[in-house]
Amino acid sequence: MSPVEFSDAVLLSRVAPGQWHALEDDLVVGRGEASRRPDGRMFVSIDAWHDVAFDRLAAAMLAALPRPLHTVVDEADLDLTARWRRAGFTVRRREWEYAVPTDPRVTGLDSVPPPTGVTIKAFGSAEQAPLHALDRAIRDEVDAGPGWPDMPAEVLARPVLDPSKCAVAVESGRYVGLLRIAMVTRLPRIGLIAVLAGHQRRGIARALLAHALGALHHIGKQTAAAEVTESNVAATALFAGVGGRRTGGNLELVLR
Amino acid sequence: MARTSNGIELEGTVLECLRNATFRVELQNGHKVLAHISGKIRKNYIKILPYDRVLVELSPYDLTRGRILFRYRN
Repeated sequence: MSPVEFSDAVLLSRVAPGQWHALEDDLVVGRGEASRRPDGRMFVSIDAWHDVAFDRLAAAMLAALPRPLHTVVDEADLDLTARWRRAGFTVRRREWEYAVPTDPRVTGLDSVPPPTGVTIKAFGSAEQAPLHALDRAIRDEVDAGPGWPDMPAEVLARPVLDPSKCAVAVESGRYVGLLRIAMVTRLPRIGLIAVLAGHQRRGIARALLAHALGALHHIGKQTAAAEVTESNVAATALFAGVGGRRTGGNLELVLR
Repeated sequence: MARTSNGIELEGTVLECLRNATFRVELQNGHKVLAHISGKIRKNYIKILPYDRVLVELSPYDLTRGRILFRYRN
Protein backbone atom coordinates (compact mmCIF):
# COMPACT_ATOMS: atom_id res chain seq x y z
CA MET A 1 0.00 0.00 0.00
CA SER A 2 1.58 3.30 -1.02
CA PRO A 3 0.32 6.65 0.29
CA VAL A 4 -0.02 9.11 -2.57
CA GLU A 5 -1.54 12.15 -0.87
CA PHE A 6 -2.00 13.55 2.60
CA SER A 7 -4.06 16.66 3.06
CA ASP A 8 -6.63 17.85 5.58
CA ALA A 9 -6.49 14.52 7.41
CA VAL A 10 -7.61 12.47 4.38
CA LEU A 11 -4.95 10.11 3.06
CA LEU A 12 -5.43 8.52 -0.35
CA SER A 13 -3.95 5.17 -1.21
CA ARG A 14 -4.10 3.01 -4.33
CA VAL A 15 -4.35 -0.42 -2.75
CA ALA A 16 -4.60 -2.41 -6.00
CA PRO A 17 -4.56 -1.56 -9.74
CA GLY A 18 -8.29 -0.76 -9.72
CA GLN A 19 -8.86 0.10 -6.07
CA TRP A 20 -8.34 3.25 -4.01
CA HIS A 21 -8.96 3.96 -0.33
CA ALA A 22 -9.48 7.28 1.45
CA LEU A 23 -8.24 7.10 5.05
CA GLU A 24 -8.95 9.36 7.97
CA ASP A 25 -7.51 8.56 11.40
CA ASP A 26 -6.61 5.09 10.09
CA LEU A 27 -10.24 4.52 9.18
CA VAL A 28 -11.38 3.82 5.64
CA VAL A 29 -13.82 6.63 4.91
CA GLY A 30 -14.03 6.08 1.17
CA ARG A 31 -13.43 3.40 -1.44
CA GLY A 32 -13.03 3.77 -5.18
CA GLU A 33 -13.14 0.93 -7.65
CA ALA A 34 -12.64 0.66 -11.41
CA SER A 35 -13.37 -2.33 -13.60
CA ARG A 36 -14.02 -3.13 -17.24
CA ARG A 37 -17.30 -4.52 -18.50
CA PRO A 38 -17.33 -7.25 -21.13
CA ASP A 39 -17.92 -4.61 -23.82
CA GLY A 40 -14.56 -3.03 -22.91
CA ARG A 41 -15.92 0.12 -21.23
CA MET A 42 -14.45 1.09 -17.87
CA PHE A 43 -16.88 1.67 -15.00
CA VAL A 44 -15.96 3.37 -11.74
CA SER A 45 -17.69 3.57 -8.37
CA ILE A 46 -16.94 5.54 -5.21
CA ASP A 47 -18.42 4.97 -1.77
CA ALA A 48 -17.51 7.77 0.59
CA TRP A 49 -18.87 8.95 3.91
CA HIS A 50 -18.35 12.62 3.08
CA ASP A 51 -17.82 14.96 0.15
CA VAL A 52 -14.13 15.59 0.82
CA ALA A 53 -13.31 11.89 0.62
CA PHE A 54 -15.43 11.49 -2.51
CA ASP A 55 -13.86 14.47 -4.28
CA ARG A 56 -10.31 13.40 -3.46
CA LEU A 57 -10.95 9.83 -4.55
CA ALA A 58 -12.54 11.07 -7.77
CA ALA A 59 -9.61 13.37 -8.50
CA ALA A 60 -7.07 10.59 -7.93
CA MET A 61 -8.98 8.04 -9.98
CA LEU A 62 -9.72 10.38 -12.87
CA ALA A 63 -6.07 11.36 -13.04
CA ALA A 64 -4.98 7.73 -13.23
CA LEU A 65 -7.60 6.15 -15.50
CA PRO A 66 -8.10 6.42 -19.26
CA ARG A 67 -11.21 8.16 -20.67
CA PRO A 68 -14.03 7.63 -21.26
CA LEU A 69 -15.13 6.56 -17.78
CA HIS A 70 -18.64 5.45 -16.89
CA THR A 71 -20.61 5.01 -13.71
CA VAL A 72 -24.15 4.05 -12.71
CA VAL A 73 -26.29 5.85 -10.13
CA ASP A 74 -29.85 5.47 -8.93
CA GLU A 75 -31.63 8.48 -10.39
CA ALA A 76 -33.30 9.02 -7.00
CA ASP A 77 -29.91 9.36 -5.34
CA LEU A 78 -29.53 13.08 -5.90
CA ASP A 79 -26.51 13.48 -3.61
CA LEU A 80 -24.44 10.86 -5.41
CA THR A 81 -25.49 12.15 -8.82
CA ALA A 82 -24.43 15.67 -7.78
CA ARG A 83 -21.05 14.37 -6.62
CA TRP A 84 -20.38 12.75 -9.98
CA ARG A 85 -21.57 15.85 -11.85
CA ARG A 86 -19.12 17.88 -9.76
CA ALA A 87 -16.38 15.56 -11.02
CA GLY A 88 -17.39 16.35 -14.62
CA PHE A 89 -19.65 13.39 -15.43
CA THR A 90 -22.76 13.91 -17.57
CA VAL A 91 -25.81 11.73 -18.20
CA ARG A 92 -25.39 9.37 -21.16
CA ARG A 93 -28.57 7.33 -20.86
CA ARG A 94 -31.38 6.34 -18.53
CA GLU A 95 -32.53 2.81 -17.80
CA TRP A 96 -35.96 2.11 -16.34
CA GLU A 97 -36.59 -0.66 -13.86
CA TYR A 98 -39.94 -2.39 -14.29
CA ALA A 99 -41.98 -4.63 -12.03
CA VAL A 100 -43.94 -6.83 -14.42
CA PRO A 101 -47.02 -8.68 -13.16
CA THR A 102 -47.30 -12.34 -14.12
CA ASP A 103 -51.04 -12.90 -13.61
CA PRO A 104 -52.65 -13.35 -17.05
CA ARG A 105 -55.77 -11.60 -15.75
CA VAL A 106 -53.62 -8.52 -15.21
CA THR A 107 -51.29 -8.78 -18.20
CA GLY A 108 -54.05 -9.66 -20.67
CA LEU A 109 -51.70 -12.25 -22.16
CA ASP A 110 -53.82 -15.33 -21.45
CA SER A 111 -55.24 -15.29 -24.97
CA VAL A 112 -52.14 -14.27 -26.92
CA PRO A 113 -51.23 -16.99 -29.41
CA PRO A 114 -47.87 -16.95 -31.19
CA PRO A 115 -47.91 -15.53 -34.73
CA THR A 116 -48.93 -17.96 -37.48
CA GLY A 117 -46.19 -20.50 -38.14
CA VAL A 118 -44.38 -19.75 -34.87
CA THR A 119 -44.28 -22.09 -31.90
CA ILE A 120 -42.84 -21.43 -28.44
CA LYS A 121 -40.50 -23.98 -26.91
CA ALA A 122 -41.05 -24.00 -23.16
CA PHE A 123 -38.34 -23.48 -20.54
CA GLY A 124 -36.15 -26.55 -20.46
CA SER A 125 -37.08 -27.90 -23.88
CA ALA A 126 -34.71 -26.00 -26.20
CA GLU A 127 -31.83 -27.95 -27.71
CA GLN A 128 -28.30 -26.76 -26.98
CA ALA A 129 -26.87 -26.49 -30.51
CA PRO A 130 -29.62 -24.34 -32.10
CA LEU A 131 -29.90 -22.33 -28.87
CA HIS A 132 -26.22 -21.42 -29.06
CA ALA A 133 -26.57 -20.66 -32.77
CA LEU A 134 -29.45 -18.28 -31.99
CA ASP A 135 -27.45 -16.57 -29.22
CA ARG A 136 -24.52 -16.11 -31.63
CA ALA A 137 -26.81 -14.71 -34.33
CA ILE A 138 -28.44 -12.25 -31.89
CA ARG A 139 -25.04 -11.06 -30.66
CA ASP A 140 -23.77 -10.68 -34.24
CA GLU A 141 -26.81 -8.53 -35.06
CA VAL A 142 -26.22 -6.33 -32.01
CA ASP A 143 -22.53 -6.01 -32.88
CA ALA A 144 -23.40 -4.96 -36.43
CA GLY A 145 -26.22 -2.65 -35.35
CA PRO A 146 -26.76 -0.66 -32.18
CA GLY A 147 -23.80 -2.20 -30.34
CA TRP A 148 -23.65 -3.09 -26.67
CA PRO A 149 -23.28 0.24 -24.87
CA ASP A 150 -27.05 0.80 -24.77
CA MET A 151 -27.83 -2.69 -23.53
CA PRO A 152 -28.44 -3.35 -19.84
CA ALA A 153 -25.39 -4.86 -18.18
CA GLU A 154 -27.27 -8.10 -17.67
CA VAL A 155 -26.95 -9.05 -21.34
CA LEU A 156 -23.33 -8.01 -21.85
CA ALA A 157 -21.52 -11.08 -20.64
CA ARG A 158 -21.81 -14.33 -22.52
CA PRO A 159 -23.87 -16.36 -20.08
CA VAL A 160 -23.81 -20.12 -19.88
CA LEU A 161 -26.93 -20.84 -21.92
CA ASP A 162 -29.06 -22.99 -19.66
CA PRO A 163 -32.11 -24.28 -21.57
CA SER A 164 -34.06 -24.42 -18.30
CA LYS A 165 -33.90 -20.62 -18.18
CA CYS A 166 -34.69 -20.00 -21.85
CA ALA A 167 -37.93 -19.94 -23.82
CA VAL A 168 -37.45 -20.03 -27.58
CA ALA A 169 -39.58 -19.06 -30.58
CA VAL A 170 -39.30 -21.46 -33.51
CA GLU A 171 -40.32 -20.83 -37.11
CA SER A 172 -39.88 -23.37 -39.90
CA GLY A 173 -37.64 -25.39 -37.62
CA ARG A 174 -35.29 -22.46 -36.95
CA TYR A 175 -34.85 -20.77 -33.57
CA VAL A 176 -35.70 -17.08 -34.16
CA GLY A 177 -36.39 -15.58 -30.73
CA LEU A 178 -35.15 -15.97 -27.19
CA LEU A 179 -36.29 -14.97 -23.72
CA ARG A 180 -33.90 -15.64 -20.86
CA ILE A 181 -34.94 -15.58 -17.20
CA ALA A 182 -32.56 -15.21 -14.28
CA MET A 183 -33.87 -16.46 -10.95
CA VAL A 184 -32.27 -13.95 -8.57
CA THR A 185 -33.15 -14.96 -5.01
CA ARG A 186 -36.91 -14.38 -4.76
CA LEU A 187 -37.40 -12.05 -7.72
CA PRO A 188 -37.21 -13.55 -11.21
CA ARG A 189 -35.66 -11.21 -13.72
CA ILE A 190 -36.19 -11.04 -17.45
CA GLY A 191 -32.59 -10.91 -18.55
CA LEU A 192 -33.06 -10.77 -22.30
CA ILE A 193 -35.79 -10.75 -24.93
CA ALA A 194 -34.45 -10.81 -28.48
CA VAL A 195 -35.92 -11.67 -31.87
CA LEU A 196 -33.81 -11.98 -35.03
CA ALA A 197 -34.08 -8.94 -37.32
CA GLY A 198 -35.97 -10.65 -40.12
CA HIS A 199 -38.69 -11.86 -37.74
CA GLN A 200 -39.41 -8.72 -35.73
CA ARG A 201 -42.65 -6.70 -35.56
CA ARG A 202 -44.84 -9.80 -35.74
CA GLY A 203 -45.62 -10.32 -32.06
CA ILE A 204 -42.96 -12.94 -31.34
CA ALA A 205 -41.51 -11.04 -28.36
CA ARG A 206 -45.01 -10.63 -26.92
CA ALA A 207 -45.67 -14.35 -27.37
CA LEU A 208 -42.38 -15.18 -25.61
CA LEU A 209 -43.30 -12.80 -22.79
CA ALA A 210 -46.77 -14.33 -22.50
CA HIS A 211 -45.24 -17.77 -22.18
CA ALA A 212 -42.60 -16.69 -19.64
CA LEU A 213 -44.95 -14.70 -17.41
CA GLY A 214 -47.51 -17.51 -17.52
CA ALA A 215 -44.87 -20.04 -16.47
CA LEU A 216 -43.74 -17.81 -13.60
CA HIS A 217 -47.33 -17.32 -12.46
CA HIS A 218 -47.81 -21.08 -12.54
CA ILE A 219 -44.98 -21.57 -10.01
CA GLY A 220 -46.33 -18.85 -7.74
CA LYS A 221 -44.20 -15.86 -8.76
CA GLN A 222 -46.36 -12.74 -8.80
CA THR A 223 -43.83 -10.30 -10.26
CA ALA A 224 -40.78 -10.29 -12.50
CA ALA A 225 -38.18 -7.55 -12.82
CA ALA A 226 -36.84 -6.09 -16.04
CA GLU A 227 -34.58 -3.22 -17.08
CA VAL A 228 -35.12 -1.27 -20.28
CA THR A 229 -33.17 1.57 -21.83
CA GLU A 230 -35.42 4.64 -22.04
CA SER A 231 -34.74 5.05 -25.76
CA ASN A 232 -35.84 1.48 -26.54
CA VAL A 233 -39.40 2.39 -27.51
CA ALA A 234 -40.41 -1.12 -28.53
CA ALA A 235 -39.32 -2.67 -25.25
CA THR A 236 -40.88 0.04 -23.06
CA ALA A 237 -44.15 -0.34 -24.99
CA LEU A 238 -44.00 -4.12 -24.58
CA PHE A 239 -43.65 -3.95 -20.79
CA ALA A 240 -46.05 -1.04 -20.33
CA GLY A 241 -48.60 -2.92 -22.45
CA VAL A 242 -48.68 -5.87 -20.06
CA GLY A 243 -49.11 -3.74 -16.95
CA GLY A 244 -45.42 -3.30 -16.13
CA ARG A 245 -44.89 -0.59 -13.53
CA ARG A 246 -41.80 1.61 -13.37
CA THR A 247 -40.21 1.12 -9.97
CA GLY A 248 -37.13 3.22 -10.48
CA GLY A 249 -34.40 4.16 -12.84
CA ASN A 250 -30.66 4.18 -13.19
CA LEU A 251 -28.58 6.84 -14.84
CA GLU A 252 -25.43 5.90 -16.72
CA LEU A 253 -23.00 8.80 -16.45
CA VAL A 254 -19.94 9.33 -18.58
CA LEU A 255 -16.79 11.42 -18.44
CA ARG A 256 -15.29 11.77 -21.91
CA MET B 1 2.03 1.80 5.98
CA ALA B 2 -1.08 3.00 7.76
CA ARG B 3 -3.01 0.70 10.01
CA THR B 4 -6.54 0.75 8.62
CA SER B 5 -9.94 -0.33 9.75
CA ASN B 6 -12.98 -1.03 7.67
CA GLY B 7 -15.25 0.27 10.41
CA ILE B 8 -18.22 -1.56 11.85
CA GLU B 9 -19.84 -4.21 9.66
CA LEU B 10 -23.01 -5.99 10.79
CA GLU B 11 -25.53 -8.34 9.27
CA GLY B 12 -29.12 -7.18 8.98
CA THR B 13 -32.44 -7.70 7.27
CA VAL B 14 -33.99 -5.24 4.85
CA LEU B 15 -37.31 -3.99 6.21
CA GLU B 16 -38.30 -1.49 3.57
CA CYS B 17 -37.17 0.00 0.27
CA LEU B 18 -37.56 3.78 0.49
CA ARG B 19 -38.07 6.16 -2.39
CA ASN B 20 -34.79 8.04 -2.21
CA ALA B 21 -32.54 5.07 -3.06
CA THR B 22 -32.22 4.09 0.59
CA PHE B 23 -33.30 1.06 2.58
CA ARG B 24 -34.42 0.63 6.17
CA VAL B 25 -32.41 -2.25 7.62
CA GLU B 26 -32.80 -3.95 10.99
CA LEU B 27 -29.42 -5.06 12.28
CA GLN B 28 -28.81 -8.24 14.23
CA ASN B 29 -28.57 -6.19 17.43
CA GLY B 30 -32.06 -4.81 16.86
CA HIS B 31 -30.97 -1.33 15.80
CA LYS B 32 -32.53 0.10 12.66
CA VAL B 33 -30.48 2.09 10.18
CA LEU B 34 -30.97 3.84 6.87
CA ALA B 35 -28.61 2.43 4.27
CA HIS B 36 -27.59 3.16 0.70
CA ILE B 37 -26.27 0.43 -1.53
CA SER B 38 -22.60 0.33 -2.44
CA GLY B 39 -21.40 1.33 -5.87
CA LYS B 40 -20.22 -2.23 -6.51
CA ILE B 41 -23.73 -3.59 -5.90
CA ARG B 42 -25.23 -0.96 -8.21
CA LYS B 43 -22.64 -1.58 -10.93
CA ASN B 44 -23.52 -5.27 -10.85
CA TYR B 45 -27.29 -4.63 -10.87
CA ILE B 46 -27.86 -6.63 -7.70
CA LYS B 47 -31.43 -6.06 -6.56
CA ILE B 48 -32.15 -5.50 -2.86
CA LEU B 49 -35.62 -6.46 -1.67
CA PRO B 50 -37.45 -6.50 1.65
CA TYR B 51 -36.47 -9.54 3.76
CA ASP B 52 -33.06 -9.82 2.06
CA ARG B 53 -30.23 -10.56 4.48
CA VAL B 54 -27.43 -8.07 3.92
CA LEU B 55 -24.05 -7.00 5.28
CA VAL B 56 -24.08 -3.34 6.34
CA GLU B 57 -21.12 -1.08 7.02
CA LEU B 58 -22.07 1.62 9.53
CA SER B 59 -20.99 5.22 9.02
CA PRO B 60 -18.24 6.20 11.48
CA TYR B 61 -19.88 9.63 11.67
CA ASP B 62 -23.52 8.59 12.22
CA LEU B 63 -24.40 5.14 13.55
CA THR B 64 -27.95 5.45 12.20
CA ARG B 65 -26.59 5.46 8.64
CA GLY B 66 -24.99 2.68 6.68
CA ARG B 67 -24.07 1.19 3.36
CA ILE B 68 -25.13 -2.23 2.09
CA LEU B 69 -21.96 -4.05 1.03
CA PHE B 70 -23.29 -7.51 0.29
CA ARG B 71 -26.55 -9.39 -0.18
CA TYR B 72 -26.57 -12.94 1.13
CA ARG B 73 -28.22 -15.75 -0.79
CA ASN B 74 -31.15 -16.56 1.44
